[in-house]
Amino acid sequence: MTGNLTLALLTGLLYTVGTYLLLQRTLTRVVIGLGLLGHGANLLLLQAGGPPGRAPFSGAAGTAGDGVADPLPQAMVLTAIVITFGVSAFLLALAYRSWVLTGDDEVQDDVEDARIARQRPDRHAHAHPEELS
Amino acid sequence: MTDPQPVDSGAPPRLPGADELDAVRRSVVLETAVRLVFHTILVFSLYLLLAGHNQPGGGFVGGLVAGLAFVLRYIAGGRAALREAVPVDPGVPLGLGLVLAAGTGVTALLLGGQFLESGKVELDLPLLGIVKATSALPFDTGVYLVVVGLVLGVLRTLGAEAER
Amino acid sequence: MRRGPALRRPREDVLLALVLLHLVLALLAPVAAARLGRRVFLLVALAPGATAVWAVTQASAVLDGRPVVSSTSWVPGLGLALDLRLDALSLLMVSLVSGVGALVLLYCAAYFDRDQPGLGRFAGVLTAFAGAMLGLVLADDLLLLYVFWELTSVTSWLLIGFDDEDAESRRAAQQALLVTTLGGLVMLVGLVMLVQEAGTASLAQILGDPPSGGTVPVALVLVLVGAFTKSAQVPFHPWLPSAMAAPTPVSAYLHAAAMVKAGVYLVARLAPAFAVVAVWRPVVLTVGLATMLVGGWRALRQDDLKRVLAFGTVSQLGFLMVLVGAGTHEAATAGAALLLAHGLFKATLFLSVGVIDHATGTRDLRLLSGVGRRSPVLATVAVLAALSMAGVPPLLGFVSKEAAYEALLGDPVVFAGVVLGSVLTAAYSARFVWGAFARKPGCADTVVHAPSAGLLAPVVVLGLAGLVLGLVPGLADPLVQGYASSYEGEPEHLALWHGLVPALGWSVLTLALGAALFLAREPVRAYQRRASRVLSRVDADRSYDRVLDGLDRSALRTTAVVQTGSLPVYLGTVLLTLVLLAGTALATSTRVTGDVTAYDRPLQVAVGVVVAIAAVATARAHRRFTAVLLLGAVGYGTAVLFVLQGGPDLALTQFLVETLALVIFVFVLRRLPATFTRRPLRLSQGVRLGVALAVGGFVTLAVLVAGQARTAPPASQAFLDRAQADGGGSNVVNVVLVDFRGFDTLGEITVLAVAAMGIASLVLAGRGRRSGDPEGETALTAAGGQAVDEPGTPAPEVVP
Repeated sequence: MTGNLTLALLTGLLYTVGTYLLLQRTLTRVVIGLGLLGHGANLLLLQAGGPPGRAPFSGAAGTAGDGVADPLPQAMVLTAIVITFGVSAFLLALAYRSWVLTGDDEVQDDVEDARIARQRPDRHAHAHPEELS
Repeated sequence: MTDPQPVDSGAPPRLPGADELDAVRRSVVLETAVRLVFHTILVFSLYLLLAGHNQPGGGFVGGLVAGLAFVLRYIAGGRAALREAVPVDPGVPLGLGLVLAAGTGVTALLLGGQFLESGKVELDLPLLGIVKATSALPFDTGVYLVVVGLVLGVLRTLGAEAER
Repeated sequence: MRRGPALRRPREDVLLALVLLHLVLALLAPVAAARLGRRVFLLVALAPGATAVWAVTQASAVLDGRPVVSSTSWVPGLGLALDLRLDALSLLMVSLVSGVGALVLLYCAAYFDRDQPGLGRFAGVLTAFAGAMLGLVLADDLLLLYVFWELTSVTSWLLIGFDDEDAESRRAAQQALLVTTLGGLVMLVGLVMLVQEAGTASLAQILGDPPSGGTVPVALVLVLVGAFTKSAQVPFHPWLPSAMAAPTPVSAYLHAAAMVKAGVYLVARLAPAFAVVAVWRPVVLTVGLATMLVGGWRALRQDDLKRVLAFGTVSQLGFLMVLVGAGTHEAATAGAALLLAHGLFKATLFLSVGVIDHATGTRDLRLLSGVGRRSPVLATVAVLAALSMAGVPPLLGFVSKEAAYEALLGDPVVFAGVVLGSVLTAAYSARFVWGAFARKPGCADTVVHAPSAGLLAPVVVLGLAGLVLGLVPGLADPLVQGYASSYEGEPEHLALWHGLVPALGWSVLTLALGAALFLAREPVRAYQRRASRVLSRVDADRSYDRVLDGLDRSALRTTAVVQTGSLPVYLGTVLLTLVLLAGTALATSTRVTGDVTAYDRPLQVAVGVVVAIAAVATARAHRRFTAVLLLGAVGYGTAVLFVLQGGPDLALTQFLVETLALVIFVFVLRRLPATFTRRPLRLSQGVRLGVALAVGGFVTLAVLVAGQARTAPPASQAFLDRAQADGGGSNVVNVVLVDFRGFDTLGEITVLAVAAMGIASLVLAGRGRRSGDPEGETALTAAGGQAVDEPGTPAPEVVP
């Protein structure tokens, strides 16, 4: 089986841009990044099925991966497309919620974690009876 | 679907429920077009669902097409028009779809097969001739209903609720 | 007692039943306390009382060498069994655990105020402790022993922290729990190693045929650490004085008679088999002697009577450790005798302090004066016990110390240490008696409320027991010999008078030096103060605090580093880990052959370029809407690539989804600001770009390598062949979805339904509470897609 450089590079590019956006703080950009990652993943799955071929219908001449496109990755990609849609919708609802609460969709650092990092430990203060005597 | 309601406002009734929108937001062309194509798209989505086993299509595609029909209806007529078109809660198709899909699997189990094992029946019906029915159809219908439910839910919440 | 074979079975069942009786009464206690008040202690005293009585009836058979053995299957899969065994050493311990336990519970009934809150809980936990302790000394399975061991730690934690509103009490409870369970865990490792080495968890079998593998010394040291923490040996001892925050009956029972003896018991149990192992004697003797001296030294300078006794207990536990760990017949005899003697006199002394505290309201020996005259019975009993502690004839303490001197004379270093420790013991015993009962010059007589008979009776019984056993050592001798006979050698019987032997001379010298040390208490005290300034630097209690502080600090520091609270940092860490681990494996183990085509169809290149441009532009867009439109372009382009690849279903789905997604984006973008916030952090964006490029490069490489990695024909050929016949359809992708891999699809639509509910709850959160909604809309609730009519909703039109 041969590799397809065009598709491989395009997949890599989609992953690069998707990752870059995923690492941003704006939730909208994160969702867009996730969408790009989804497209990249779908292309990746599709390439696992081998080179292009005729649409996989019963009676198509040829065998899977050779003349006929492999139906299994296609079924997986179809599932992935719809799932990505569901997840994106959910994330957008999150962004909307964030806007309702804060008026923006920025993902802020967890304030509680910052507070923990600044905290001083409690001394295990204890009155030693010895010192009192 | 419901017939257009007679209203006594100046504008002619075009899309049921759309008259709740502000006049500036209404578009005659859009409303009329949606009225014309809405049912056609729904029928087409059913065709995709039924034909999907042998032609391109299937539950996912059919459900998405039906969802697009509702999106059009919402865009043209607002949330009231959507409510007119689908007077049920989005939870109903969601739940029905899941029950149908899972029920197909359980039925196979009850009939002595594996969970989700497929079966087919050939019926010789009067007038229609020989009709082939597979267990894939109710399962795919479940998928169709869930996708429709998801789109409706999004329209109700992110669409209509966020509009307020 | 005559015992026929018919009685064998009940005799065995009783053993387990007695342990269970404790637990049942422990559970009943809180309920019963509501009706009985403090008389609940009389009820729960039944359990140890019955155990003690039953143990006496079994004594002759057990000491004849016929132990009571009971085995009940528990977790067969793990080889765990409820194996209990009552032999001579266990009998000795049961007499302390249950005999003293019953008396302490009776004492409790008079000690606490009628309206003391939490009595039911206290009685329940104390009874549970008695049961756990009983199980510990009876257990014949190392893992079962460990379970009971930890149960005593947990119950002791609850008992020390009884006064849970007092910070000192809580700290003491936590300290006891941390130190003893830490030791317990170390011990567990050692026990598991022993079990592995021996191939059995049975204590009797291990002792009968001790394993001698290479890991045994390590295992023994680990087990000893557990024993040392439990029995408050240096440097783990500070928890015991701290635990004096507990109510006095707890101190008398747990910290004199029972729990602190658990470590001594374990050492006594293992010594006959393992004292010959090279590491054993140096470790046990060093730690024991150090504990004896440190405890005695510290006991001398306490002002709180309970703390005098607590450090005295530490000292005596060290002494016991030396005796039972020495691994000789004579030392074992002396150790068993001292075990009994110490349980009796120390419990008596603690209970006496409880009576004094109860009657005068203080335990400070600088404030007490003339208590002896006001309370002669108490004073007599307590003086008897203190004399026993000091080793004065004719008390059991003297008998056992004589035996100890006899046994250790052969080892000058250990002997010198023990004599020195005993001198300190004599001195603080004298100081205790003086502090508690004497009339002091310049100090007004303390007001003493007459203690009730119920409070005094258990103290008197315990105190007299020490006297009786000292006068007639023959009573305790069989018990002691029963344990000592696990060593080779001629029995060395306990006796009050051995003749004019060197040990007697040393005893006299010890008492004389002790008396001198007491008489010179003012100079001694001044010297101790000066010394403590130096010694406080190595104070074990402060070390404990420092260790805890260090733990807290390092936990905070770790949390601060690991848990930054920044989403990009978390995601970046995950992605970099992927690239570094999987990427390294990919780069080093495989290589791309030249079998790569530039493209399969020319149109792929054209569409690919468009998609690439759109994708890059998406990242550079400043307006939200622009970015979303560009994302749509990428999606449509991908759909075209699907068509070119031979997937019409995919392309159709992708077109539809992309359109729907665009609509949903627009819904949300209506609310959000038009442009993204500009961030001037160039460096940070550079790091992001670096991570992104690494991920992209990794994926490109992975695609090329994976594409060439196929070794077998695709599984989906079977799908193509069978679609029509089995699935009844010619669209193979659809047949795969709804038939061959229907389970996946069922899972997927479930996810979709969950996502829909999640969206509804996110958007509608708080909506239901909003009143005066101008336009009611049927709301989709998260719970079950149930329709909720909001207030003011016009009646929905009924649609046929």
